[in-house]
Amino acid sequence: MRQALFLVALALIPGLGQAIYFREKISWRSPILPSESVNVDQARAWGENAIWVDARPDDEFARDHVPGALLLNEDRWNELLPQFLAGWSPGKKIVVYCSAERCDLAREVAERLRKEAQISDVFVLEGGWEAWLQKNR
Amino acid sequence: MASEEQMKQAPNIEHRFESPGNAALFSVRRSAFDVWHLLWRILDFIVAAIFIYAGVLKMLEPAQFAHDINNYRVLPWTLSVALAFYLPWLEIFCGLALIVRYFYRGALSLLTVLIVAFTLTTAAAKVRGLDITCGCFGHVSQHWSFPAHLATNLAILAGLIVLWFKVAAMGKRAD
Repeated sequence: MRQALFLVALALIPGLGQAIYFREKISWRSPILPSESVNVDQARAWGENAIWVDARPDDEFARDHVPGALLLNEDRWNELLPQFLAGWSPGKKIVVYCSAERCDLAREVAERLRKEAQISDVFVLEGGWEAWLQKNR
Repeated sequence: MASEEQMKQAPNIEHRFESPGNAALFSVRRSAFDVWHLLWRILDFIVAAIFIYAGVLKMLEPAQFAHDINNYRVLPWTLSVALAFYLPWLEIFCGLALIVRYFYRGALSLLTVLIVAFTLTTAAAKVRGLDITCGCFGHVSQHWSFPAHLATNLAILAGLIVLWFKVAAMGKRAD
């Protein structure tokens, strides 16, 4: 028991050091950094300057989606990415959403757009599709 | 360490055998003991290497690991972040403890608790219908299926149980 407690305490030291080192890269309050998320009102204010991206599965997109949104999910990433890039132009802000606050699809798609497509102005919609619906009912 | 003490004492004991037959029997038993000892040490290294490898992968990408924990929807985000910084180091230190045989039983206890917790959480996520990335081995395990994930965890748990048997068989503290 004493040995286990010692190891538990020992692991705290580098863990704390790493938490300090990564303090700018991970938010303790939200899975998405504040600088990488946007709420419905802010995104709508961007108007024509924003491209909406639906990261949900095909069937959910087919059921309903934000008017003008482009489908780009991880299930068919290789197929959908060229179509998305054809509709994208530099300088436009990209707003990615999935179903709700706790879904992770939008964050993953946003991450891949930043890394693989080298697009910087990518934001995740706070509250996702549910938040958009609430504001637009 | 019990095994080394027994090995050091072995030559002295051998002198006490009067007949060559008894000495040969003892020699065979000692060889068998050496083989088992070697196999256990190999298992020590395999289990330790798995946890060190998994820990290092996750330690390099704490943000990704925090999201992987968060996907299980069991803990609040803040706790997921805290565990993402902490758990990889615990795995690494416990793995190292198995290799150097220092704090051996403590490390074995912690690793057993961890693997049981990981397995139960994964099974619970499956029952709840969550489509999760296990995150156990960072990006390497990103596309693992649930059966593959479960089989890996159970294999590691089996390895840990065998090591517990070794500790019990020695009859003394392993470290």
